[in-house]
Amino acid sequence: MRSCVLLLIASTTFAAEPQRLTDDGRIKWTPVFLNNKELVYVDLEKPELTVIKRLNLTDLSTKRLHPEANTQELEPAFFKGGERSTYLKTTGGLNVGIVIRDEQKNKEALLPAEAGFCGYKSPAFFPDGNRVIFSFAQGGQQDLYSVNLDAKDRKQITSHSGNNYWPSFSPDGKRILFGSTRDGNYEIYSMHLDGKEVRRLTDCRFQDLRPQFSPDGKRIAFTSSRDGNFEVYVMNADGRHVKRITHHEERDDYAAWHPDGKRLVVISERDGSHDLYLLRVDD
Amino acid sequence: MFDIGSFTTSTCGGTSRRSFLQLAGSVPIAMGLGDQSFAATPKQRAKSVLFVFLWGAPSHLDTCDPKPNAPSDYRGPFATIPTKTPGMHFTELLPKLAQRSNLYTVVRSHVTSAPGHPDAGTVALTGFEENPKPVQPNFGSIVAKHRGRQGALPPFVSIARGTVMDGNRRIEGYGGGTLGSAYDPFMMGCSELGKVELPALKLLDGLVPNRIADRKKLIQQIDRVPRTLEQNGFEGWNRTYQAAYDLLMDPKAREAFDLTKESHKTRAQYGQSVFGQSALLARRLVEAEVPYIQLNYSRHVEAITPGFEFGWDTHIYNFELLQDLHCPIFDRVFSTLLDDMNQRGLLKNTLIVCMGEFGRTPKITNRAARDHWPQCYFSMWAGAGIEPGRCIGESNRRGEHPLTDPVTPKMVGTTIAELAGVDARTRAKMSVLDGGHLIKGLI
Repeated sequence: MRSCVLLLIASTTFAAEPQRLTDDGRIKWTPVFLNNKELVYVDLEKPELTVIKRLNLTDLSTKRLHPEANTQELEPAFFKGGERSTYLKTTGGLNVGIVIRDEQKNKEALLPAEAGFCGYKSPAFFPDGNRVIFSFAQGGQQDLYSVNLDAKDRKQITSHSGNNYWPSFSPDGKRILFGSTRDGNYEIYSMHLDGKEVRRLTDCRFQDLRPQFSPDGKRIAFTSSRDGNFEVYVMNADGRHVKRITHHEERDDYAAWHPDGKRLVVISERDGSHDLYLLRVDD
Repeated sequence: MFDIGSFTTSTCGGTSRRSFLQLAGSVPIAMGLGDQSFAATPKQRAKSVLFVFLWGAPSHLDTCDPKPNAPSDYRGPFATIPTKTPGMHFTELLPKLAQRSNLYTVVRSHVTSAPGHPDAGTVALTGFEENPKPVQPNFGSIVAKHRGRQGALPPFVSIARGTVMDGNRRIEGYGGGTLGSAYDPFMMGCSELGKVELPALKLLDGLVPNRIADRKKLIQQIDRVPRTLEQNGFEGWNRTYQAAYDLLMDPKAREAFDLTKESHKTRAQYGQSVFGQSALLARRLVEAEVPYIQLNYSRHVEAITPGFEFGWDTHIYNFELLQDLHCPIFDRVFSTLLDDMNQRGLLKNTLIVCMGEFGRTPKITNRAARDHWPQCYFSMWAGAGIEPGRCIGESNRRGEHPLTDPVTPKMVGTTIAELAGVDARTRAKMSVLDGGHLIKGLI
C-alpha cells in the first residue's frame, strides 16, 4: 500500500533529517508555535489528564503552561505570541468549555458549555485578536461561531450540515481555511470571514484534516489518509500541487508551520511512541 | 519491572528498592480453590479466555459495521475499506484490523437489555441484569471456579488501573456474584510504559520480594496495619495476604508480570499506551496459563471528564475521538495482539472475545455525536477453534436492529463457558447462565 521506512525521511522533499524535539513518547496533539523559539502542544501526561506544555526550541526543555490545572486542557491557540490565549477545558462530565485569557490584563473569560453533554472544538483568534472562532454542535451539525474576548456576543459563521472545524486564518486576514464533512467525508475548504464564498480545496474519499495556512499564505499544510495512512501533505493555497511530506507506516499528523515558513512541526508515531519532529519543507 | 502499590521494584535477584508489603484489602482476589468435581472436560478448547472489554461502548457504525448507504445523518463521515473477509467492510479507522480479518470472526447482531453503562456492564459481563438481586457471577468467575487455582497465579485477572467504573459507580457484575467474593477478579494495572501495578499489594519501606521469604516477618509487618484488617475482615485479608505472598515469591508469577522480559520491538509493536502495554501483559498471562483475563480498554467509560481516563462513551466528540485517539490505539493494539498470539501458536488454545457493552445511536445526535444504543452492536471472536474470517449476523441498513437472530450477552457467556470447558451440566451444578445457549453458527 505504501513504502515503509524507519525514519521520517526517504523523501526528496526534505533537505535534512527531521529533528526530534521530544522523547517521552506520550500521546500528543495540536502543536502551535508561539514564536520562532517556543511552541506549545497538548500532552497526555497521565491517562486521565491532558496538559498544555511549552517547549523551548533552543534547549528542548518543557514546562506546563498551567502548572495548577487539574482537568483536561486541549487545543490551545494564541494571539501575538501569547498575549492572549484560548483553549478547551473540561468543566464536568462530558462537558467542555472554552477559556479566553488576556495575559496582559490578567483577565480570563469562560465560554461554558451548555448543560449536559456538550463540548466546543477548535478555538482560534481572529487576525485582529478581538474575537475567538470556535466550533459548536447542535441540531446534529457542528458549525463555526465566534465570540468576543468576554466570551459573549456569539455570532454564527457557518450554517451547513456536517461537522465544520479547524479554522485557520490567512495572513492577510481575508479568508478562513476549515475542514468539513458537509459533502459526506472530511474535506478542506476556504471561505470569507463572513462564511460566504466557500471554495472546496480537496476531493478525496478518505480523510483530509487540519488545514493550516503557511505564514506567507501561499501554501496549506494538512493531514490526509488518502494513501492508506495518516501523512502530512502540503498544497498551494488554491488546492493545487499536493505534495506528500511524510512517508512512514505509522501516523504523522498535526502539522504546524514554523514562523519561518520553511519548516513544519508534526507529531509522528514511531515504534508506538508519539513525539514532536521538526522537518524542513522545500519551497 | 513492575509496580507494587506505587513503587517501582525489580523482580530479579538484584532487587534494589526498599519496599514492603502493605495491605490494601479493598481489592478482592480470585483465589478459587476450584471445584474439583468439575475437572476440565474433553470439550474444553480454550485453556485461557481473553475478554477484551471496550468499556464505554464503541460506535458500531463507525468501526466494524459501517452503513455507507444509510442517510447522511446516520452513516457518519468515514469511508469504508474492504477487509480480508469477502463482503465485509470496516471504516477506514481500522485499517490494520481490516487486513487481519482472516484471524477472527465478527458478530454484528448483538443486543442487550440495559441502556445505561453500569447495568449494561453487568449484563455484558454476567449475562444478567443487576436486578433483581443477587448479582450473577462474571463469566471469568465461572471459569475461575471451574478451573481453580493452578500455582501462584489467580484464575481470573482483570486488567485496569483500578476498579472499572462509570462515573463513581463500579459495575456490579465485576466479580464472583452468587459464587462468592472468592471468585472476584485479581486486579492488575499497567502503565503506558509497561509498569505493572498490583492494587492489592502495596509496599512499605523496608522489605522487598527477596527479603520477605520469612513469612513470620511478613505477618509481623502486616500486623502493623490493623485498621486495614478491621475494615476488610479477616477472610478478605487472608486471601489478599495469601495471594500477595504467593505472587511475590513465585518466580513464574513474577515473570508473568515483568514486561521487561519482552524485546523492545515487541513492546513497541503494542505501543506506548495503557491499553497497549496492558494487552502485552494479558498475552503474558495467557502464556502463564491464567484461565480468564478481562482486559479493559479503560478504567472509566467517559470519553472526556475531569479525573477520568478517556473511554469509549462518546456522547460528544464521537468522530473526533475515534479518529484521533481510540481507533488508532485499538487498531494497533488489537492487531498486534492477534498477530502475536497467532505467531506464538497461542490462538489454538486461547479464546479471544472483544466487545463493548452496547452500540451507539445510528442516527447522529443533536451534539453531532452518538449516544447509547443497546439494540445493535458487534463483537470479534478469535482462537479456540472458532473458524476465522467470517461475519456472522447482520444488522439492518441503518444499523438499528439485527436482521438475523439476535445474540444476547447470556449467549456470549454461555459460548465462552462452553469453550472454556464449563459444559451445560457443570453450569447447571453451579447454577449459572441458566437458560443460556450457544451463539448459532459461531461454534
